[in-house]
Amino acid sequence: MDPALRFNGVVRRYGTHVALDHLNLQVARGETVALLGPNGAGKSTTISLLLGLLRPHAGFVEVLGTSARQAVARGRVGAMLQTGSGSGLPPGVRVSSVLQLVRRLYRCPAPFDVTVERAGIEDLLDRSTHRLSGGQAQRVRFAVAIAGDPELVFLDEPTAAMDVDSQRSFWRMMRQFGEEGRTIVFATHHLQEADVIADRVVVINRGRVVANGPGATLKAAVATRQVRFVTDDPDEVVLDQMDGVTDVVVRGIGVTLNSLDADATVKALVRHGMDFSDLEVTGAGLEEAFLALTGRDPTLNEKREL
Amino acid sequence: MTGLLAFGRFEVARLLRSWKFLGITVGFPVIFYMLFLSDHSPGKVIDGAVPWRVYLMVSMCSFGALVAALNAGGSRLSTERASGWARQVRVTPIPAWSYVATKMTASMLVVLPVLVLVEVVGIAFGDVRLDLSTWVELTALLWVTAVPFAVLGVFVGFTVNAETAYPVVTALMFVLGYFGGLFNPVRSMPQAMQTAARALPSFHHASLGLALLDGHGFGIQDALVLAAYSGVLSLAVLWKHRVEESRGLA
Repeated sequence: MDPALRFNGVVRRYGTHVALDHLNLQVARGETVALLGPNGAGKSTTISLLLGLLRPHAGFVEVLGTSARQAVARGRVGAMLQTGSGSGLPPGVRVSSVLQLVRRLYRCPAPFDVTVERAGIEDLLDRSTHRLSGGQAQRVRFAVAIAGDPELVFLDEPTAAMDVDSQRSFWRMMRQFGEEGRTIVFATHHLQEADVIADRVVVINRGRVVANGPGATLKAAVATRQVRFVTDDPDEVVLDQMDGVTDVVVRGIGVTLNSLDADATVKALVRHGMDFSDLEVTGAGLEEAFLALTGRDPTLNEKREL
Repeated sequence: MTGLLAFGRFEVARLLRSWKFLGITVGFPVIFYMLFLSDHSPGKVIDGAVPWRVYLMVSMCSFGALVAALNAGGSRLSTERASGWARQVRVTPIPAWSYVATKMTASMLVVLPVLVLVEVVGIAFGDVRLDLSTWVELTALLWVTAVPFAVLGVFVGFTVNAETAYPVVTALMFVLGYFGGLFNPVRSMPQAMQTAARALPSFHHASLGLALLDGHGFGIQDALVLAAYSGVLSLAVLWKHRVEESRGLA
């Protein structure tokens, strides 16, 4: 079977700004993939190309074995786009009418009740679209995205501006939908979101894929463990020569070592006769992995990407 | 095809359920008809052929068509684009052109009842009496030639942002109404304003209807001007649509 989508050497520019720089990406059917990256990395551009809203300047995009536009026109794809400050819904209409309309735009939509249940919007059906909170509107937009029973769903920062509770329940919905054998590709700069939901995380920065693998592998790919302890008169040069150590930070008598192999590092410390106490070994989070890969703190940059 | 029909029905139903839209489109022409009826003695003959009460009815039909079409497209379209709904529709299976086409069709559909309503008011309050065939001809003519107003509405909705669309539409309504001679006979205006009026589609729309009633028959020149407006504005909408599409916005 064809993969769910294939991106081959895709280049997309906005004026002189290169948004996607020979991006390669492949997603198998049934996979849930997170496109993780700071704002402006090219995530939304990638999704726009996958929906046929934009055309690549070079390279090719293939969705479900056909062109992006064909896949959309045949109703095989659903999407939840970024809407900025808008609700993404027609104003002043009952939620149920919007959902009924969207179903009619597809040839083989999912049953109304099934979509309502999947998106958890039972209590919102009689509500007018301009009386929805941000989180409620996101759920309705998710319902709109899956109403046509698509094989492949794109979600562009689906939980942006949601509170923690709504986020959790939204993740549950996404996982359940993915478990039904559908392919989900979602963009996020939310590290936990990528880690919790996705089978695979593709880290994009400056229009290129900089890392690609399961969340756990990504973490492993970077300086993955931190070894912390306290010792009298720490010697940076000596510490740096311990097995597995990639980085040494000394603050007074406190030492933090970044290590590719924490076991080997601790054994080396013991062998060396280092007198240490308060030993602590922690896994570096995806946060550190991300920072190491992109050189940017994803939470700092609040500028919206194109 | 069923998708397109469903979308069209949805649009028209939304318009007819909006009190704001109904209030403006029905209220303005009807109230203005009553108000302006006493501006001249109702029997006074305008431009040598048509009594004021008939002249005013045709003018208010044009005004009603203008108001309905501009409001159906204009600010509503602009708001929907801002909310992201327009893009959402774009990623459903219906063809790319159908969003604009549906908007245009919905605008045209709501013009018809407004025309009929103003005519009913003309019969009831202005004592306008015409043959049934003339009524049908007049209504059909004014309806079909309302196309440039519908395109103008969509053009405004495409070019102006959500905050300014409403005032722009309102301004257009009154500029086209007043300077197009819909509130006052053009002949009673100073020469410069008369020349200006002849450049506006609103003037030619009403003029087509009046020519039919005063025995001049079909006003070819008026029809050509309206066709030209429709053509130019359609090209502008297409161009705008293209630009947005190349940026992935439409």
